[in-house]
Amino acid sequence: MRRPYLSSFLFLLTALIFSLAVGSIFIPPQELWRALSGDSTNETFRTILWNIRLPRTVLIALVGAALSGSGAAYQGLFRNPLADPYLIGVASGAGLGAVLAMSIRWPYTTLGLLAVPLAAFIASLLTVYLVYLFANVGGTVPTTNLILAGVALSSFATSLTSFLMLRSTGELRRAITWLLGGVSLVGWDVTFALIPYLVIGLTVLVLNGYSLNLLQFGDDQALQMGLNVRRAKFIIITAASLVTAAAVSFAGIIGFVGLIVPHVVRIWWGVDYRRIIPLSIVSGAGALLLADILSRVVIAPLELPLGIVTALAGAPFFLWVLRRSKNQGYW
Amino acid sequence: MFRKFFYLTVLIALLLAGCGPASNPTEAPAPVSTEAPAVEVTEAPAVNESAITLVDGLGRDVVMDAPAQRIVSLAPSNTEILFALGAGSQVVGRDSFSDYPAEALSVTDIGATYEALNTELIVSLKPDLILLAEVNAAEQVKTLEDLGLTVYYLKNPTTLEEMYANLEIVAQLIGRQPEAAELIESLKARVAAVDEKIMPLSSRLSIFYEIDATDPAKPYTAGKGTFITLLIDRAGGYNIAADLDGYPQLSLEQVVAADPMFIILGDSAYGVTPESIATRPGWENLSAVKNNQIFPFDDNLVSRPGPRLVDGLEALAKLLRPGLFE
Repeated sequence: MRRPYLSSFLFLLTALIFSLAVGSIFIPPQELWRALSGDSTNETFRTILWNIRLPRTVLIALVGAALSGSGAAYQGLFRNPLADPYLIGVASGAGLGAVLAMSIRWPYTTLGLLAVPLAAFIASLLTVYLVYLFANVGGTVPTTNLILAGVALSSFATSLTSFLMLRSTGELRRAITWLLGGVSLVGWDVTFALIPYLVIGLTVLVLNGYSLNLLQFGDDQALQMGLNVRRAKFIIITAASLVTAAAVSFAGIIGFVGLIVPHVVRIWWGVDYRRIIPLSIVSGAGALLLADILSRVVIAPLELPLGIVTALAGAPFFLWVLRRSKNQGYW
Repeated sequence: MFRKFFYLTVLIALLLAGCGPASNPTEAPAPVSTEAPAVEVTEAPAVNESAITLVDGLGRDVVMDAPAQRIVSLAPSNTEILFALGAGSQVVGRDSFSDYPAEALSVTDIGATYEALNTELIVSLKPDLILLAEVNAAEQVKTLEDLGLTVYYLKNPTTLEEMYANLEIVAQLIGRQPEAAELIESLKARVAAVDEKIMPLSSRLSIFYEIDATDPAKPYTAGKGTFITLLIDRAGGYNIAADLDGYPQLSLEQVVAADPMFIILGDSAYGVTPESIATRPGWENLSAVKNNQIFPFDDNLVSRPGPRLVDGLEALAKLLRPGLFE
């Protein structure tokens, strides 16, 4: 796999095109092009393409980029191949916030409609902040403490979520769908709301590739090589959590993408984080689009929750990549 | 490396910028304006005589030029209302659960509505009205509204009177007011016929209405504020869970303590039978089981807030007092 940037961009481009072409209504290729370029006479095709498929495609691509980018950053930060964007509580916090918000019947206003994503966003950032506070020992934040505090708080939040779901009478189905990664609000508003967080957060992560490289030697070594370890950790955690929280609040908890995409990138294209992060971002967008296309096709006209597809399709693929990898002990 | 990332950013930015402005023209497709060219420009906008303005269950103003001719129904109760008003031919789409009347099954199925809506299919049906109910999430209203579609969210009724009012609302939306008046009159007459026989009775029969007993030690039932409780009451019965809110779970102990005279199986569609009740551990001592007073029941008659609630009332009354309804 030479030319990593070219191949990952081509992959993303292919995924984008397929995502626009596939749906429950068949649009012939020539109509597709006409509707996209704006000189289509078919109002229905135009609405479907511009107001349904395109916003969804962009949203899914952004979410995939966010999860894979922050997953790569977490793996580097924790020097742990099992790290994913949800390791230190973003997902469980978001889940708690979302289920809490779902237990209330909100008025039909912009704020009421955004109550669930907003609650998820706030709760997930709050959870990560608490994890960070608990892991802080005398001015340093040891990686082990972060992971342990993250696991503990995650379990706590998950239990609370389960309790709320058991007690709720109505919206159980909605909560489960959300927790499995179901995109409920789709449209340009949502997509645009997501962009600022992702652009800022992902840019910060890309710029921290070198810090992540240094952190691979361990905190002490990195410090000796001139890295402000505490600050670097704080910045990376903040950026990765921000990006993940924003993605999760709109798209629900989509697992596995943030875990495997960085690994595939690492197996194929090497261990330099200045590369892994941007490549993970681009490939992650493509990978989630692919999963989304599958989710639309498998039991059409119904849709599978994305979180189910990512693991069902992603795990066999990853095992295949792992098996073929000649690079022993690539980590 | 940075240069490459720079290209990536620029590309993404271009992609996004490309989508942005182009989406605007489709955002406000105002199909209204194309049909009615302004004849006279007066100070106040000319009021279209046939225009329909109604406030829906979410407090939204729904404005329509003319009665809807292509309707998508996203709830079984809505579908039943539409067909009962004789507007079956105006229904172009329905959700998967809309299975009554039988003619509804031949209408295009747009899928289940508890997850993401199949918006592509809905748009392709070119509906001029989408009728939602409380089973639908508010997000779905927003999603459909953003696609430039006319959406009416019908609030669940809590009494028969409110159900009649809903029939009138739907009738206005689809231009079937005479049919609605006729339907309501006949429904009221049927309710009055039941009342006439039940009202004079002084005794009330205690009932346990089972909705789901996947866990037979803690079956789900219907409580206060539901049509199940309301209709049982009107049919001369007494719901043993009438004091509990919503759809509570009763413990088997509570059922035994109340010892209802009748057990009505709203879950009979899921394979629960009077025989299977009798084999449940701990249930054999209930009077209803000993006296064989367990009846399968079509739950759709009492759980879908539409005109068939009156069928439900009649069925319950017949079941409780077979002698009175020969």
